[in-house]
Amino acid sequence: MPKRRKILFKLIIFIIFILSIAGCWNRRELDTLAIVFGVGIDKAKKPGNIEITAQVIKPGEMKSPQGGSGGGGEKPYWNLTSSGKTIFSAVREFTHKSNRKLYFPHNEIIIFSEDIAKEGIRKYMDFFIRDPEIRRLVWVLVAKGNASEVLETKAILEKVPARNIAQLIEARAATSQASAVRLQEFLTRLMSKTTAPIASVIEITREKKEKIARLIGTAVFKDDKLVGYLNKSETRGLLWVIGEVKSGIIVVKSPGGNGEVSLEIIHASSKIIPEIKDNNIHIRVEITEEGNLGEQTSAEDLTSLPAWTVLERRQSEAIHNEVRRALKKAQELNTDIFAFGEAVHRKYPELWKDIENRWDEYFPNIEVTINVNAKLRRSGMTTKPPKPE
Amino acid sequence: MKLEGGKISSSHLTFLMIGFMIGSSLIFIPGQTAGHDAWLAILAGLAEGLVFAVIYTTLAMRFAGKTLVQFNDIVYGPYLGKAISIAYLWYFFHLASLVLRSFGDFFTAIIFPETPMIVFIVLTALICATAVRNGLEVITRCGLILVVTMSLAVLTTTILLFKDMKLTNFLPVFDIPLKDFIKASHSAATFPFGETVAFLMVICFLENVKFAKSSAIKALIITGLLLVMASVRSIGVLGVTAPIHTYPSFQAVRLINIGNILTRLEIIVVGNLLAMGFLKISVLYYGTVLGTAQLLKLRSYLPLVLPIGAMLVSFSILQFDSVIENIFFTFEIYPYYVIPFQIGLPLLSLIIAIVRGLPKD
Repeated sequence: MPKRRKILFKLIIFIIFILSIAGCWNRRELDTLAIVFGVGIDKAKKPGNIEITAQVIKPGEMKSPQGGSGGGGEKPYWNLTSSGKTIFSAVREFTHKSNRKLYFPHNEIIIFSEDIAKEGIRKYMDFFIRDPEIRRLVWVLVAKGNASEVLETKAILEKVPARNIAQLIEARAATSQASAVRLQEFLTRLMSKTTAPIASVIEITREKKEKIARLIGTAVFKDDKLVGYLNKSETRGLLWVIGEVKSGIIVVKSPGGNGEVSLEIIHASSKIIPEIKDNNIHIRVEITEEGNLGEQTSAEDLTSLPAWTVLERRQSEAIHNEVRRALKKAQELNTDIFAFGEAVHRKYPELWKDIENRWDEYFPNIEVTINVNAKLRRSGMTTKPPKPE
Repeated sequence: MKLEGGKISSSHLTFLMIGFMIGSSLIFIPGQTAGHDAWLAILAGLAEGLVFAVIYTTLAMRFAGKTLVQFNDIVYGPYLGKAISIAYLWYFFHLASLVLRSFGDFFTAIIFPETPMIVFIVLTALICATAVRNGLEVITRCGLILVVTMSLAVLTTTILLFKDMKLTNFLPVFDIPLKDFIKASHSAATFPFGETVAFLMVICFLENVKFAKSSAIKALIITGLLLVMASVRSIGVLGVTAPIHTYPSFQAVRLINIGNILTRLEIIVVGNLLAMGFLKISVLYYGTVLGTAQLLKLRSYLPLVLPIGAMLVSFSILQFDSVIENIFFTFEIYPYYVIPFQIGLPLLSLIIAIVRGLPKD
């Protein structure tokens, strides 16, 4: 008899375990999810409220239509909007319109409209970092104009606009003239006492009546409020300093005077070194760059040593100027986008305690030396330009 | 009368101790209050923990073959000894319920928000109950496999995060007031290093008790290094944002992104937590059950497994209303609450044993 009871006991245990393994309590099947690819946040008409646009993909329409694109097929995405006092309440409002609950782990971008960003976005950040569904690898952008409109731009090579924008951000490495900021990086800057947050900027251009999203420049925040933008070259100036330049083209005048030369950036790195000189904080920025000769429009031979040296010098001057421009803009806006403050904190922790709260008074007048060590390495498949000897 | 027939080897003990200490500390990284100096706090805590471990193993070697409950009777006499043993059994029981609770909180907060917490707690407790019923040897063998896998997982996730780590996040080194640092390092010493006091219920089953001290010290050092690695990983990746997270390790591993292909690896952390938490709960559960049986002079501890398990489950659910209470207890009360168990009583026992020349053969 006891033996039988033991078997029964084991059987019960087995059944409990088997049931609990197969039946996940809050399982979510693919056909009950609305997968969000992008989120846009705008001001709602009602004061104090916000309007959220979520771009949800329609898996059925994602298949490439037979016999080429165009024609009958519907848009493979659906932009839902809803509004509320807080992000979370607005997100849940979606269920009044969508039969499926929104699913955020595949979200790639969060776009804030300009007006929202100008008022401060810290209060809207909390949801995105507290909710376990949202990943820190999403990109943070500021839209010049409405965020919802950006999510309706035409994506030609991609099916979903949000996907297209996320890939624009990854493609920006080819020019380094637009910032790319992930939520984690944005959060780190937002939590720093002195470093100013930055975000990518997305704007809408019209080409042949089509709305096209264009990623360019940098949005600069003071604390959590948008205060200004950096243009293309200022953005690259910023990226030189923070060591985020991946690639890009520097156009300089040809040493002989006629025509232009394109130099391709191959590799870049930087160092920020704070120093104390005559009781003043002084920042030295060391930038190392390597480039290749990519194109010339003049007819002269650039592969001679003297011309090569002139090119190298012009290259570092060009970098120098970009950094100067970024620095001027940042000091005008009084935003420490370069994290100079953190560098001082690391090197002079004792001094930092005194000036931490007054960094805003120091930063606009801080003296910065820029040392650029730019090298030209290779000249590509040819040496001399194609012309008769 | 023999309650436990099993014998464990010294290397098995090392692995089990590592698993025990890693337990829940891989997700609640100790020394967190020291900010970006948490790794230093862990090292300082390790130094303090080594002192604890030497005291425990000296005691265990002095009273070879006797568990904590048995030698308390010798040191303090039958009445006071029993009272102290009961206090210790309470501590083991409470600690096991705390770990169970952390499990439940973690799973409901992060992975399965709509599942009631009791489901995880009951299932985990059932698995641990099976392990305890099967005895110490089974638990130690699980330890061997699980600890090796866990160490590899910690190493892999750390390597995958190398490119996202910023060494500047660690500068300036030692940027907090000494008082706060000592508080953080003491909290790291009590959780997890000092918790090895539970092994006073286990060490006596060592094949050769001579190796107790060396295997305990080895275990503490390896654990310390693993925890430093985990804390370096979190601080390096999360920087100033680390302190606002409920589970920094989990958040750090979530950021792994190798070419958009190798992503979403956080489930590794969950697996680690499950495996190590299982070891920790099992050892504590085993200690409670065995100790109770010895205290009551039972012939077998098996009848106690399920009742005590049921108490564990209900206590772990009832003790806190929210995760905030749990965090408050863990960081503000726990470091002081454990002082008598982790250092006061063991040190006293050792002094009494030396002065009175115990055990008398």
